[in-house]
Amino acid sequence: MIVSWNWLREYVAVDVSADEIARRLAMAGLNHEGTEPVGDDLAIDLEVTSNRPDWLSHLGVARELAVLLDRPLRIPDPRPAHAGGDEARGGGGAASVRVDVACPELCPRYSARVIRGARIGPSPDWMVRRLATLGLKSVNNVVDITNYVLFECGQPLHAFDFAKLRGSRILVREPHPGEQIVAIDHKPYALEPGMCVIADAERAVAVGGIMGGYDTEVAPETRDLLIEAAEFAPLPIRAAVRKLKLRSPSSDRFERGIDAERLDWASRRCCELILDLAGGAMDALRADVSMPRPPRAPITLRFAQIGRILGIEVAPAEARRILGALGCAECAECGASRADAPERITTVPPSWRRDLTREIDLIEEVARIHGYERIPEDAAVPMTPSHRGDRDRLVTRTRHAVRAAGFDEAVTASVVPEEWASAFPPWSAAEPLRCETPLVKGADRLRRSLLPSLLAARSGNESGGNTRIDLFEIARVYLPRAGELPAEPLLLGMCGGRGFRDMKGVIEGLVESLHAPAPVAREFRDPLFRAGTGCELRLGDDRFAFVGEVSLATRRRFGLRRPAVAAELDMDVLQRHVVLVPRHQPVILFPAIQQDLNFILGESVRWAELDETVRRSAGAWLEEVAYRETYRDPQADGPDRKRILLSITVRSREGTLTGDQAAAIRDRIVAAVSERHAGRLLT
Amino acid sequence: MALSQFLDALNALESSAVRAFGAAADEPALESARVEFLGAKSGQLKSVQKGLGALASADKPLAGKRFHEVKAAIEGAFQSAKDRLASLADEEASTDDGGPLDPTLPGTPFTLGRLHPITQTIEELTEIMGRLGFSLADGPEIEDEWHNFEALNIPFDHPARDPLDNFYVAAATLGEKPLLLRSQTSTVQIRVMEAAKPPIRVISLGRVYRPDEVDATHYPMFHQVEGLWVDRRVTMADLKSTLRLFATSYLGRDVHIRFRPSFFPFTEPSVEVDFQWGDGWVEFGGAGMVDPAVLTAVGYDAEEVTGFAFGLGIERLCMRRHQITDIRELFRNDVRFLRQF
Repeated sequence: MIVSWNWLREYVAVDVSADEIARRLAMAGLNHEGTEPVGDDLAIDLEVTSNRPDWLSHLGVARELAVLLDRPLRIPDPRPAHAGGDEARGGGGAASVRVDVACPELCPRYSARVIRGARIGPSPDWMVRRLATLGLKSVNNVVDITNYVLFECGQPLHAFDFAKLRGSRILVREPHPGEQIVAIDHKPYALEPGMCVIADAERAVAVGGIMGGYDTEVAPETRDLLIEAAEFAPLPIRAAVRKLKLRSPSSDRFERGIDAERLDWASRRCCELILDLAGGAMDALRADVSMPRPPRAPITLRFAQIGRILGIEVAPAEARRILGALGCAECAECGASRADAPERITTVPPSWRRDLTREIDLIEEVARIHGYERIPEDAAVPMTPSHRGDRDRLVTRTRHAVRAAGFDEAVTASVVPEEWASAFPPWSAAEPLRCETPLVKGADRLRRSLLPSLLAARSGNESGGNTRIDLFEIARVYLPRAGELPAEPLLLGMCGGRGFRDMKGVIEGLVESLHAPAPVAREFRDPLFRAGTGCELRLGDDRFAFVGEVSLATRRRFGLRRPAVAAELDMDVLQRHVVLVPRHQPVILFPAIQQDLNFILGESVRWAELDETVRRSAGAWLEEVAYRETYRDPQADGPDRKRILLSITVRSREGTLTGDQAAAIRDRIVAAVSERHAGRLLT
Repeated sequence: MALSQFLDALNALESSAVRAFGAAADEPALESARVEFLGAKSGQLKSVQKGLGALASADKPLAGKRFHEVKAAIEGAFQSAKDRLASLADEEASTDDGGPLDPTLPGTPFTLGRLHPITQTIEELTEIMGRLGFSLADGPEIEDEWHNFEALNIPFDHPARDPLDNFYVAAATLGEKPLLLRSQTSTVQIRVMEAAKPPIRVISLGRVYRPDEVDATHYPMFHQVEGLWVDRRVTMADLKSTLRLFATSYLGRDVHIRFRPSFFPFTEPSVEVDFQWGDGWVEFGGAGMVDPAVLTAVGYDAEEVTGFAFGLGIERLCMRRHQITDIRELFRNDVRFLRQF
């Protein structure tokens, strides 16, 4: 809302600078966006919160200022002269125009005055300048006056060329099917049921509350005017603005709600200015159709509640003064007896403050005007312990572990293009959820894996000429569930360029550092992974992670020139298996014996199987099985054979192991490997 | 042999041995000096020792004592010469390829990855709020309208509920209710209050979603942190003081807090919070006293308890902290950007 400094001062005497006024208004809730000089005036840009439509006018801002400065507010008292006798209010049909409202839920009040014989011409300089400060171009005297009064008091007005209204008739109704209108911006608009149009005897002549029609607009030759001052319901206006992609200063105000009780003031003010500046004569009767409105309910403020909420005491007299200054009318007879007076005040808020309906609203008003700077910032805040949840601990430790492995943390969008959403679906077979509105262009699916996003990030990095691209992200994915909110497991995604075993080593190292059991690997096929490299890791019976080299097809799809390895871990599964506070185990001081075992085995024997056999057969003294290397010597061992070198570490709790004891363990392992895998120890 | 003669010979031997060991420049020289002075068979010390037997009995204790002193001194001189040569050899340590090491070469690369600046900001905020007694609370990102709107006192006709201003999930329903990506982390406050009785002191943080044209300062996905404290006798003075403690911790110096009136559906009174930054004031976020309608919605007695809530945008805080001028940088994930933090 842009306020003209010169205009504002017409309503309240100000003896401080515009900067100081802007500061005072900001501290009352009208955020100061900036001040620009326009001619000899200042355009002060104020941000109006959605609860205060009353501030969308000069009088509204002046009213606030009058309270802040404790000065009187000077409001004009328009009394437009009319032809013959006292002005009379007619019902829908009593005036020179017949007004009917067919949809009172869309238009609770419609009033019209008719002025005949006006002369359309330029506006006076003072009005042109004031509108210019607000950034408005002068059109002609009558249109300018409707705009002027709108920005003066916040009530939108519209002037029709009365001669062009067929049948001297106004019908406020919903549009007919397929009805169209050309608005004063010369563009056609397709009207739909649920909207509100102003029609004459034959056709729509305005989109109610949003914009007038081109056919009936005031033109240079216009002589007779119909001045509309109406109230339109906020929600339908908002919907229509969205649908038509058409908004105006009028719709901005109807969307938030206008002060219907001061609607007639605006109409009189507008007509008075027209009679002054454009001449003509006003009909004695006006049309005014309105829905009955329940009286405003009084609100009681218990003074003790002020301190309970604000933490400071405000004297009842001060609270009473503030509410009075804001226009709240104390009502002694409704609710509060005289005996209660020291404890409470019962008031009816002014018509322009629809936002005030509850005690807490009045407390806020008292606080706002009394001043938030009076609330102390050094109260003794009581201490209380805070708890850190296991999930938070786990995520933090994981993040720092992966970071220590050399991965940089990425943050990618949760909503992805459809093709990404289908790229890696192992966590859920259900179709990805779709957003009605895309997050960014082309991205409307809620992701089920972080990996496509990380692959895309990797691709962007390759394009940027970066070479070491090791990225991770810890974020949720969204998996549909029938009958309840979607599951949102927290995943760790990793994508790097350092090789499969490096990536798997990071996962295993992470799991080990968190004292979870070693994950068990099994093959896993998915188009994301190069055939034969995909691997599923389990913790107990839980599917915990996937890791593999990114397949050529996937690399092509994401524009990746260089090889990559990707892995994804379920943090919720990990959490079920970790020990965040481990129990101390005494360190065994007896020496360990390490032995290397070099087996010749068939190609088909997997390490995981061999490892399991070694562990099972070694007995209780086994401390560690370490893989060393695989190599092949077809000439010595024959085809389809490989050699796996591993080393075992054995140690006893009871004493130093003898060479014979170590040899016995070794013999058991060799026998088991021979039996289960037809492996032979190379000696 | 006279005692004085014996002692003179010992003294001469000591000084020539010490000199010889000190002068030995390499292992062979030291070895030949060792043989000459300390040789077991014909070393000079051995020769002198033989003179001991020729002395008068009365002189023997003194001569013996002096002999052992000289012997220890010569052996000591040999040992230090040996150490000296060893350390010379050590200093000439060579590299794998046999050449000398260049100690100015870089070390073997150890790459510590970087945490995203948003994460770093979140960790800092969580840590400070933890010290102030706020525990972390978590909730879903896909929410129903009750938790995202209704319980937060955002009625059906409120502009914030316009479908075009939210990311509604298509055709996904929880019973008959539509679902949407949460537009604020206040949803978690409702879930916490529904699940527990006061006192409540939590922060919630995470991703939130609001449709917006992407530009240097807007992104339709961003992060928020929100604090909530509900108890008997929680006041706006507690709110201001808590935020001051927070800002003072975060900025590392004593700062002041300013409230400007504002409007949020779920708090009343509602304020914009500024903190002092140099000569001016910097916008910090929104705050207020929990609206009685919210307390009622979660089944609390608004006459019994009061509470405050505050919320701030993490991106804005993070961007100001690191002088990042374009929010899109945060989500581009270029490692050259990430490694700056």
